[in-house]
Amino acid sequence: MKRTGFLAVALVVALFWSLVPIYWFCRMAFLTPLEIQHYPWPLIPHAPNPAAFYNIFGFRYVLSGNLVSPASGQAAQIIRGLKDSFLVSLIVMVVTLAITLPLAYMFARMEFRYKNSLLFAILFAVALPPVSTLIPFYAMYVRLGLAGTLSGLVIVDLTLTVPFVTWMLIGYFRNLPPIERLAWMDGYGRLAAFVRLVLPLARSGVAVAAVIAFLFAWNEFTYALVLVNGTTANTLPTAVSGFLHQYPEPGNLAASVLITIVPPALVAYFLQRHVSEMNLVDPVR
Amino acid sequence: MASERILPLQSAEEAVATGRRRRALSDTEFALAFGVPVLVFLVLVVAYPLGYAVWMSLHRIMFFGGYRSTFVGLRNFERVLVDAGFWWSSWVTVRLTAEAVVLTMLIGLGLALMLNRTRAARGLTRTLVFLPWCVSTYGAGLMFAYLARGQTGLGTSIAYALGYSQPVDLMTSGLVIEVLAVGAAWTMAPLVAFFLLANLQTIPKRLYDLAALDQLSPLETFWHVTLPPLRYTLFVFASIVTVLTMKLFDFVFVMTGGGPGTASATLTYQIYKISFENLDLGYGAAMSFYLLFLIIASTLLLYLVWGRREVLR
Repeated sequence: MKRTGFLAVALVVALFWSLVPIYWFCRMAFLTPLEIQHYPWPLIPHAPNPAAFYNIFGFRYVLSGNLVSPASGQAAQIIRGLKDSFLVSLIVMVVTLAITLPLAYMFARMEFRYKNSLLFAILFAVALPPVSTLIPFYAMYVRLGLAGTLSGLVIVDLTLTVPFVTWMLIGYFRNLPPIERLAWMDGYGRLAAFVRLVLPLARSGVAVAAVIAFLFAWNEFTYALVLVNGTTANTLPTAVSGFLHQYPEPGNLAASVLITIVPPALVAYFLQRHVSEMNLVDPVR
Repeated sequence: MASERILPLQSAEEAVATGRRRRALSDTEFALAFGVPVLVFLVLVVAYPLGYAVWMSLHRIMFFGGYRSTFVGLRNFERVLVDAGFWWSSWVTVRLTAEAVVLTMLIGLGLALMLNRTRAARGLTRTLVFLPWCVSTYGAGLMFAYLARGQTGLGTSIAYALGYSQPVDLMTSGLVIEVLAVGAAWTMAPLVAFFLLANLQTIPKRLYDLAALDQLSPLETFWHVTLPPLRYTLFVFASIVTVLTMKLFDFVFVMTGGGPGTASATLTYQIYKISFENLDLGYGAAMSFYLLFLIIASTLLLYLVWGRREVLR
């Protein structure tokens, strides 16, 4: 009985910790223009006002008393950003999986020369700070005509996701039972055994790797700011950052940050059931 | 798992090879077929910018009065060492990282232990607790900027609710690094909790029954049953969180902009300022190599003082 009580308290504390910053923005998004003019803002909006969510998508909203909340000038960028971010994140997710699945399997289950040095080369790529590669990337992209293009952004995102996801998946593949040997005995080749047997068995690890790759690309801001911002290719994070300079509209800023959370949150909800099957251990040992 | 590694894969493959069927791809061939394209990709995409950064760090690059670059050898690296701003930023980075790593690991462990026990509304609870991880670091930076500032902050709201009428500003030069560390821990703790939870699920229930039979206290049970299988993962994630915090840029950029003054100017922020505002590209590149060195040195240090013991265990 005492333990259940303790657990309940822990649960409440954990939920508070996780949700207060998000609630802070929810509240900001729903404040009325009048409430926003007076600090401090009320903890709970008295009359929740959904105008910001209309405004950021380019619709005006008529408040009570015939006040009109105008469509945001940033709406075009937000919509384009949503579209581009989806496209980039999906492509990055698919390509990351196509690259890292065989690679991680290779490191987890096979013995070959230079294995450890190759592994450390990949981990080195994880340690590389984006600020030190920003300018070289920009210079290279201008030369190659990739600056301001979505394909350029996909390539940069891949340099972040491939090393990280590989690192994560190696441990996962290592823990799978070695059933592919049975397949070899039945005459399957390496490739066929991998595609038909190992991948279906590892589907929960594959799913989690997919979410991580998607999230990395969806939330990438530093490279996007330098490489594609201000061009026709524009991802959601850079579109949202446009609100930073419009100080009087914190409601729109809050609403646009909140919509960036929705797609990954949905993905996380549908994939959390795989957590109990996951067993990830570090590959370097 | 260790026993699984002992079975040599090579022999199984040879057994197939001696069979009637056509010989399958060998390990090396498989590694060549999949590894080489990836390595070419990594070399092209990572080594080229790295080489370019080395080139920049050895030159003095000027934009004003026409672009020109002159070779200056190691002078940029020498300049960094006598730059007071660099040493201040290094201290800020180390302090932020130490605080963020400790907070992230403790909170991550706490969340994982709680989630492991929670039965009610399991899917929903897990998703809500993992939600901060879905918020991008720049989004989190915005949230914590509003939470910490005097006008819009949590502190002020609580103070007013308690009847005080003085705004509480947490973004002061004395506290701003701690606020950044809490924010960083908020975004990263769910990732740690996620992996620790996966590890917790592998601890056999039987061990807890035995611990109950031995009448171990909850603390002893935690120490002798729950913790040992987590220790290695804890070490790995301490390293990952160290690397991620030292690389953190957009979070600091949107939350504090290095301020107030230079109170939260981390190395990443300092390099950004030198390269993109002062346009002193060679100097910025040189400083970024010191950051890379700091990242590698601190993960190595973690390995030497902690990780090595866990690997041998």
